[in-house]
Amino acid sequence: MTSYRLDSGGLVNRSYALTFSFDGKSFKGLDGDTVASALLANDQMLMGRSFKYHRPRGPVTAGSSEPNALVTIGSGARNEPNVRATVAELYAGLTAVSQNRWPSLSFDMGSVNSLLSPLLGAGFYYKTFMWPAKFWEWVYEPVIRRAAGLGKMVMEADPDRYEKSWAHCDLLVVGAGPAGLMAALTAARSGVRVILADEGFRFGGSLLSENLNIGGVSAADYATGLIAELASLPNVTLMPRTTVFGWYDDMVFGAVERVQKHVASPSPDLAVERLWRIVAKRAILASGAEERPLVFGGNDKPGVMTAGAVRTYLNRYSVAVGSKVAVFTNGGSGYRTAADLAARGVEIAAIVDARAASEDVVPAGVRVIRNGAVVATKGRKRIDGLVVERAGFQEEISCDALAMAGGWSPIVHLMCQRGQKPVWSEEKQAFMAPDVGSAFVAAGSAAGTDTVSAALRDGAAKASAFARDLGFAAYEANIPDVEGEYDASFAPLWYVPGAKDKAFVDFQNDVHVSDLGIAQREAFRHIEHTKRYTTAGMATDQGKLGNVNTIGIVAGMRGVSPAEIGTTTFRPFYTPVSFGALAGASRGEHAAPTRTSPLHGWAKKNGATFVEAGLWYRSSWFPKEGEKTWRDSVDREVRNVRENAGLCDVSTLGKIEIFGANAGEFLDRIYSNGFLKLPVGKARYGLMLREDGMVFDDGTTSRLGPNHYVLTTTTAYATEVMTHLEFASQTLWPDLDVCFTSVSDQWAQMSLAGPKARAIMSRIVEDDISDAAFPFLAARTVTLRGGLAARLFRISFSGELAYELAVPAGYGEAVADAIMEAGREDGICAYGVEALNVLRVEKGFVTHSEIDGRATADDLGYGKMMGMNKPDFIGKHLSTRFGLTAADRLQLVGLKPIEADKEFKAGAHLLKENAAPSMASDQGFVSSVCYSPTLGHYIGLAMLKSGRERIGERIIVWDGLRNSEVPAEVCAPVFVDPGNTKLNV
Amino acid sequence: MASLISCPHCGTRPKEEFSIRGAVVARPQPGAKEDAWYRYVFIRDNPKGRYQEYWHHAAGCRRFLVVDRDNLTHEVFAVTDATEFAKNAEVAR
Amino acid sequence: MALTLLHRHVLDDHISGFETNANPNHLSVFRRPVIFSVLAKVGQERAVGAALEAAADIAVRTCAPGEWLAVSQTSGSETVAGQLSAIVDASSVDQSDGKVLLTVSGPSVRKILAKCVAVDLHPDAFADGHSTNMLIGHVTGNLARTGADRFEIIVPRSFAGSVFEELMEMGREFALTAAFAGD
Ligand SMILES: [Zn+2]
Repeated sequence: MTSYRLDSGGLVNRSYALTFSFDGKSFKGLDGDTVASALLANDQMLMGRSFKYHRPRGPVTAGSSEPNALVTIGSGARNEPNVRATVAELYAGLTAVSQNRWPSLSFDMGSVNSLLSPLLGAGFYYKTFMWPAKFWEWVYEPVIRRAAGLGKMVMEADPDRYEKSWAHCDLLVVGAGPAGLMAALTAARSGVRVILADEGFRFGGSLLSENLNIGGVSAADYATGLIAELASLPNVTLMPRTTVFGWYDDMVFGAVERVQKHVASPSPDLAVERLWRIVAKRAILASGAEERPLVFGGNDKPGVMTAGAVRTYLNRYSVAVGSKVAVFTNGGSGYRTAADLAARGVEIAAIVDARAASEDVVPAGVRVIRNGAVVATKGRKRIDGLVVERAGFQEEISCDALAMAGGWSPIVHLMCQRGQKPVWSEEKQAFMAPDVGSAFVAAGSAAGTDTVSAALRDGAAKASAFARDLGFAAYEANIPDVEGEYDASFAPLWYVPGAKDKAFVDFQNDVHVSDLGIAQREAFRHIEHTKRYTTAGMATDQGKLGNVNTIGIVAGMRGVSPAEIGTTTFRPFYTPVSFGALAGASRGEHAAPTRTSPLHGWAKKNGATFVEAGLWYRSSWFPKEGEKTWRDSVDREVRNVRENAGLCDVSTLGKIEIFGANAGEFLDRIYSNGFLKLPVGKARYGLMLREDGMVFDDGTTSRLGPNHYVLTTTTAYATEVMTHLEFASQTLWPDLDVCFTSVSDQWAQMSLAGPKARAIMSRIVEDDISDAAFPFLAARTVTLRGGLAARLFRISFSGELAYELAVPAGYGEAVADAIMEAGREDGICAYGVEALNVLRVEKGFVTHSEIDGRATADDLGYGKMMGMNKPDFIGKHLSTRFGLTAADRLQLVGLKPIEADKEFKAGAHLLKENAAPSMASDQGFVSSVCYSPTLGHYIGLAMLKSGRERIGERIIVWDGLRNSEVPAEVCAPVFVDPGNTKLNV
Repeated sequence: MASLISCPHCGTRPKEEFSIRGAVVARPQPGAKEDAWYRYVFIRDNPKGRYQEYWHHAAGCRRFLVVDRDNLTHEVFAVTDATEFAKNAEVAR
Repeated sequence: MALTLLHRHVLDDHISGFETNANPNHLSVFRRPVIFSVLAKVGQERAVGAALEAAADIAVRTCAPGEWLAVSQTSGSETVAGQLSAIVDASSVDQSDGKVLLTVSGPSVRKILAKCVAVDLHPDAFADGHSTNMLIGHVTGNLARTGADRFEIIVPRSFAGSVFEELMEMGREFALTAAFAGD
C-alpha cells in the first residue's frame, strides 16, 4: 500500500460511502471526495497518459489547474472528456475512464513515442509534415489525431438542458477562500448586494486544506461559521460550483455554474450547467495563488505533486499520497507539508532543500539535504525513488511520493483578460495583478499576501473600501488570531540543473526544458512565439501551472529578468466551458423565435405547406388531393386566381401608422415619388431609395385622414424600413411634426384577387364597393357585415381585380373562413406565396429579387417615380451621379424561352448569341423565374445591359452552375394583360 | 459575452439590444454640391480610438443614440439622444 | 347576412387548459385587454405623459420618450379611445389585437425573468410601477413591475408563442404553470 485513506480527520463524510468505477473497476469513495482523492484513497495514482509521449501520469495538483489527471466521466450521450479528476465531485454511480491510452492505461502502445522523443521535439510537426500538402488530409492529420487526441467526443445529441441567466450585484467576490469569504461578509454586513462565487463544491479555499487554528477553532470550522452567516443574509447570493471564467467590458463577468454535474441522473427540470452574466459595480478577485512545480528530471511521474496538493489530500480528504514521502522545496511550503504528514504518522523520506539555509521548522527525526537537487526519479507508473545531487555527489533515496514546492504565483488571470498584462515583482518573484482601475482589485494571496491572517485582513479592508465607495457605512471586520501559520516565502528556482531525464514545464502538452532551448536557438524568442513553437501553455489547462516556469527558464536562458520576457496573452476562458453552456437554452425550437401570422390557423386548416421567410412561417401553397408536385398546386392556384378568385395571407407585410401635421411632408421626403397631394381615402405605390440613390424598398401607403397615414413595407424589410423612418425623423428632420409606430401585428391582412373578388367581398363588407364607389387605389375603413370595423384597400399585386382586407388580428382566422365560405360558389381557393410570386412575375412587379441594392428606380423602369422637382428626398442627390445614369446600366426586362418547353433558372447569366460563355461577355442576369400556367411556358425577369432598347433580341441564358445554355427572347417585363383591362373593372 | 451601454432613456442595457449604425455625419443641405453628398454617403475616417457612432436602441426605446466611445478600449464617454445631439451641435455651430 | 366572427387568442394553441391549479409561480394570460399605442407630438412629451397618467382606469407603460402603451383591463376600447383622443397633442392607435399581455408572478419570478432579461429587477433598481421596453429572450417587449413578485409583459402578437414557450421553459425549474386569466 502506498497511498491510502487515514482513519480519521478530513472533510469527508465517513458514514456515506460512494461506489464508482474507474476503467471498469469498482471503487469506493466518500461523500466530499473528488474523483482524484477517491482514487488516491484506493491507491490508484496512475490516472492518465500524456499527450505526446504517452507517459504515465498521476495528479500533480488538487485543483482546477490540473494538467495530468484528465478523465472521461459519464457514458453514452453524457460522455464528457477531459474532466479534471482533481475537481470532479464524486457521486454514487460515477463512471470514469482514463484517456489517451490504447489498449489500456497500464500498457499503452502509444508510449513508443517516448522512444522516438528525439524526433518529437519542438517544431516537430511544423518541420515534418510540411509536404506533400495533400498528405495532410489523408495521412498526417488522421494519424496525428488518433495518436495525439485527448478524450473522445460522442456524436450523440446532448440530452441535457442548459440555460443562461443574468445576475446583478454591487460587489462580486471571485473565490471563497479566506480573503473572499471575509471580503464578502464585510461588504454584506454593510448592506452591499454581494455575489460570492467559487469554482469548488465547498466554500473555504485554503481554509479547508490548511492545518490552522483560527479564533479557537479549526480553519475549516471557522470557514463554516463565515459561510453560515453569509447564507443568512438576504443581500448575499452564494454561488458554489461556479467558475468565473471571464471579465468583459463594462464590469460584466462570465461564469459557469455546474448545477447538476455532480449527480448520476440529472433532473430534467433543471439545467445541468448555467451560464451567468454577472453585472457588478465592483469586484474583488480572491482566487488565491498557485503553487509552482519544480522543473527537474523526471518531474512528471505519478507520485510527484505539489506540496500544497499533498496537504490538501491529507488535511481535506484525509488521504496520504504515499507511505514514504520525500519533499523537494525552495521554501516553507515543503517543510509545512512534511510537518503535516509527519503529524499524521506518514514517514518522511527526506527534505531536499535547494537553498543553503532556512529558518523553517524541521519535523523531528527528518533528514534535510540542503543545497540539494533532485535530478531524476525512479520508477515508471509510480515513483519508487529519487536521485538527489548535492555538491557533485549523487545519492538514491527511496520514496513512493514526492511533494515539490516551487514557490507561489498569484492567480491573476481574470484581471488580465482585457488587455492589461501582469506585472513582475522582484520582491515576490511572481507576476502580480495589474492595476485595472478602481472597480476591480485582487485580495488575499491573489494579491500576494503570505499568510491566512493577512488574507483575511486584506479581504476585509478591500471590501470596506468598496462599501464606503458605494455609499454604504463600512463595517469594520473583527479578524481573529490565526495560530499555526508558516512562512510561505521562497527562493526562486526556475530549473534544477543536472537533469538525467526530461524535465517538464508543461505536463499536459509534454513540453520540456530542451524544447524551450530549441525555440530560442531557432529564433522563436518572443514569448508568444516560444509558446506557439513549443506548444507550452496551449493545452486545455492553458499553462496555469507551467507558464511561469516557462517564462523563468526562458529568462534564464537569455540572461534577463522575467519582467523582460513578460507573459503571453490572457484570454477568457479561465477553465474550459462547454458549448452546451455557451448555447444555453438557445437550441432546437428555442434557437430563434418564430413568428406566426394571425392567419396561420386558417392556412393550416386549408392544408398549407409552410415556408420559413425570415422568422415568419408563411403559407407556400395549398396542396389538394391528387396533386403530385408543388407545381401542380401552384399552377392550379394561379389559374384559379386569374379565372375565379383566390385568398392569400399578406399579414406579414410591415405596417406603420403615421400621424402628424407634417406626415405628408415626411413621406414626401422618404419616398422618391410625391405624397403631399395624396387624397384622403387613397392608396399610392411608393418607392423608397437609399441615400446612395439605389432603391431600398417599396409598398403602398394610404392616407386615412388629413394627418393620418398607414405605410406598408415588404415582409423582409419591415424592420429596416421602420429603422429608416426613425433615423430620418430623429436625426435628419426632428422638427417635423410626425410620429409613427408599428402596427404590423395588429392586423390580419388578406388579399382577395380575381375576377370574382368584388362579388365575394360584397358578401363580407357592408359598404358599397362598386367600382364607382370604391375604385382602384381606394383605401378606407369599412364595416363588415355584423359590425366589425376593418380596413379595405383596392390594390393588386397580381394584375387582377383585388382587395386587401385588414381586420384586427384576433378576427383574422374567422374573417378568412367567412371569405372562403362566401366565395365557395365562385370557386375561391386559398393561394400561397409561390402562386403570389407567379402572379407578380406575370405582371412584371418587382420584389427584393430585383430590388437587390444595385438597382436604381430607372433600372427597374420606375424612372417616372423620381420626383426630381421636389426640393429633397432621400436618395435624390446621388441618383444623378456618374454611373447611375449610364446608358449601359442593367435594366429590367422580361425573358421567354425561344422553345416553349425550355426552362431556365434565376441566377443564370445573359450572353449575346454566339458569345463565349464567360463573365467577360456577361450581359446581365436572371432575377426571377417561374412557370406561367397562364402562358404555358417559363417566364423570367432579368436585369440586362441597356435592356429596354433590346426588346425582341435573342439572347442566351447561360447557367454555368447547371451547365446549360437556353436561347431566349428579350421582351417587355409584363406578360399578362399589359393594358390592365382586368384591374380596372 | 457582453458589454453594456447606458441608454439615456432606458438605462443600462446589453449591446444585444442595440444596432450600430455607423459614424455620426451631418447630412448636407439639399442644395449642397455632389461632392458633399459623396462624402456624406461614402467617406468615413474610421479612426482607431475615440469615435462618435449612431447606436439604435432597437430592442428598447428605438431612439437613435450618439455613443461617444473609444473603439479600442470600449471606454464610453457619453451617450446622447441623437435629436438632442443634433440640436447641441447646431447651437455650437 | 351578418357574420358571426369568433375572436381567437394567439396563445389558444399553446395553453391547453389541462393544468387546473395555479402553482405559486404562475403565468397568466389576459384574453382581451385594451391596449393602445400613444404617441406625443414632438415637444409635448411631458404634457401628454402627464395627461395619460391622469386618465382613469388606464395603466401607462413607457416605451420611449413620447411613446407609451395605454392598458386597461376594465374599460372597453371605445372608452379608452375616447379618453386618449381627448389628450391634446397625442395620437393613438388601437393595438389590442397586436399585443399580447401576460403576467408572471410568484416567489421565483425574478429568477425566472433573469434567464430572459438583462435588466436588474431588484426592487431598488426596478420599482413597482416601473415599465420599459427590453429584450425578453429573443424578442423586444415591454416589461412592467406590478407588484413585489409580479411582472407584466407585453409582446407583439406574432412573437407571443415563442415568448410564452421561452418563459415556460425558463420556469420549469420552478414549476411555473400557465392559464388564461379567469379560465
Ligand atoms: Zn433606449
